[in-house]
Amino acid sequence: MSDTHSSPDAGIQEHHEHDHEGPGYATPQAAIEEAEPEKTAYVMGLYVGTDVDASDFLAVVDVDPESETYSEIIDRVEMPNRGDELHHFGWNACSSSCHMDGLERRHLVIPGQRSSRIHIVDTKERRDPELTKVIEPEEVYEHDLSAPHTVHCVPDGEIMISMLGDADGELPGGFLELNDNFEIEGRWDPPGEIQMNYDYWYQPRQNVMLSTEWAAPKTYYPGFDLEDVEEGKYGQQLHFWDWEAGTVEQTIDLGEQGLIPLEARFLHTPESTHGYVGAALSSNIIHFAERDGEYHAEPVIEFDDREHEDWDIPVPALPTDILISMDDRYLFGSNWLHGEAWMYDISDPSNPRKADSISIGGLFGDISEVQDREIVGGPQMLQLSLDGERLYWTTSLFSSWDNQFFPEMAEKGSVMLKADVDPRKGTMSLDEDFLVDFGECEAGPARAHEIRWPDGDCTSDVWQ
Amino acid sequence: MPEVTLLWRDGREERITVSADETILTGAEREGIGLPYGCKNGACGTCVGRLLEGELEFERPQRALKDGHREDGYVLTCIGTPATDCRVAVGAHHQAEMMSTPWK
Repeated sequence: MSDTHSSPDAGIQEHHEHDHEGPGYATPQAAIEEAEPEKTAYVMGLYVGTDVDASDFLAVVDVDPESETYSEIIDRVEMPNRGDELHHFGWNACSSSCHMDGLERRHLVIPGQRSSRIHIVDTKERRDPELTKVIEPEEVYEHDLSAPHTVHCVPDGEIMISMLGDADGELPGGFLELNDNFEIEGRWDPPGEIQMNYDYWYQPRQNVMLSTEWAAPKTYYPGFDLEDVEEGKYGQQLHFWDWEAGTVEQTIDLGEQGLIPLEARFLHTPESTHGYVGAALSSNIIHFAERDGEYHAEPVIEFDDREHEDWDIPVPALPTDILISMDDRYLFGSNWLHGEAWMYDISDPSNPRKADSISIGGLFGDISEVQDREIVGGPQMLQLSLDGERLYWTTSLFSSWDNQFFPEMAEKGSVMLKADVDPRKGTMSLDEDFLVDFGECEAGPARAHEIRWPDGDCTSDVWQ
Repeated sequence: MPEVTLLWRDGREERITVSADETILTGAEREGIGLPYGCKNGACGTCVGRLLEGELEFERPQRALKDGHREDGYVLTCIGTPATDCRVAVGAHHQAEMMSTPWK
């Protein structure tokens, strides 16, 4: 892997693995060309919300098919406290800082969603990472923020984290900034720009950031209650920000078609204003794009509810995660309740066309076990290889929601699974030889959540 | 100091004393008893248990609980301090049991 586009040594041909001046890749296509197939995965492992008396952990998973420990957890970094709910995490630097000499993609920033504690893990030794710093919740609460979620590095070495609540777990949320020494710089946004918060993505060349909405922490933390939806306590808005100014320029209310808009993804090409948001509860995928000076958003994929004999109401698909392949050709997604991993052709971004899907796990999946291991829960957090040929996923959504919808997960733990993707043909098939069983962890069955690769991935890299 | 009896659904029972400057959770931790918890400030409900007997005082509002939950006896052990001897049912299963669910 080399990345020489802004390097003063660009003429030198011999580039070793870390021998580039800034982190990441010059372009999305450069990421596809230069990245080696992933050999190591970092995965969030959790015990919060179970009776297992152990801390959440960062799992190092061997995904190198040539290795003797292929598809095993080969190392674990235990957090110093229990109860964090490790959830999403991110890098200190990505391709957005590839102009920054000396900056490396090396430190993982790992928030506790429930604890509001922020952990810094050094991955210099990729298979033996080390916890190097902890920011305690009290420091976070000083900025009247809590419930850290999405971590993106922003150009010039800073790190921004979406925060879903105030210090008491009420609204409003906001954004917390860390400097390159992993110290809290302060709040990024003026309080009151938004009420609810969840995921965000920025597209710096368009000077735009998009943020989405879950609910107040005190609403979603204890579990899902339909009454809260009826009372308007869950989100349905998209906020388009002026990225430089840090202020909301436009808010789009999606109404009933856009209940609980979660993951936000812009196309990777830095020129694009197109992207998608998964509205989990409405089970719609929303396409957005800028036209005539403002953003427009509408559902372009709609998953129908299904009747289930054990349910009082039709079961929504609950598309809880989406991601875009690095070549901007496919949108992948996961329907956690129905039990489906899918891919749509988005070569015409406003008109996605179904390419393929795998029915697995969840309440309706055709495949209910892998290697005789029963799958509890549906496909949830996704990660795709940079070359777009391997899709991986885990099965836990959020400890308290897992406990309601798939209670067996507390006793059996999560699995990490993989599908082989043929991007030329637009097909995907389950790789039955791959299974990482978090149910077999030593302290007891664990949940598994977000997945990242050491060299960047389809949900962390942004280009200036 | 008030005595708190912690009861698990598998029949396990532990008795601890909890001082006025402790919560049930911190008192249990001091005795090496691991109870579930998350935010430790009353917002998340991971530590929820059920008060069977006695009285608790709360240092902060129990934001994770709705009125109906409180009426059903659910309490947050992370911010609850016993005012009298108490019996409290504990364990991670209380969180899901407390929530209403859309299935039969």
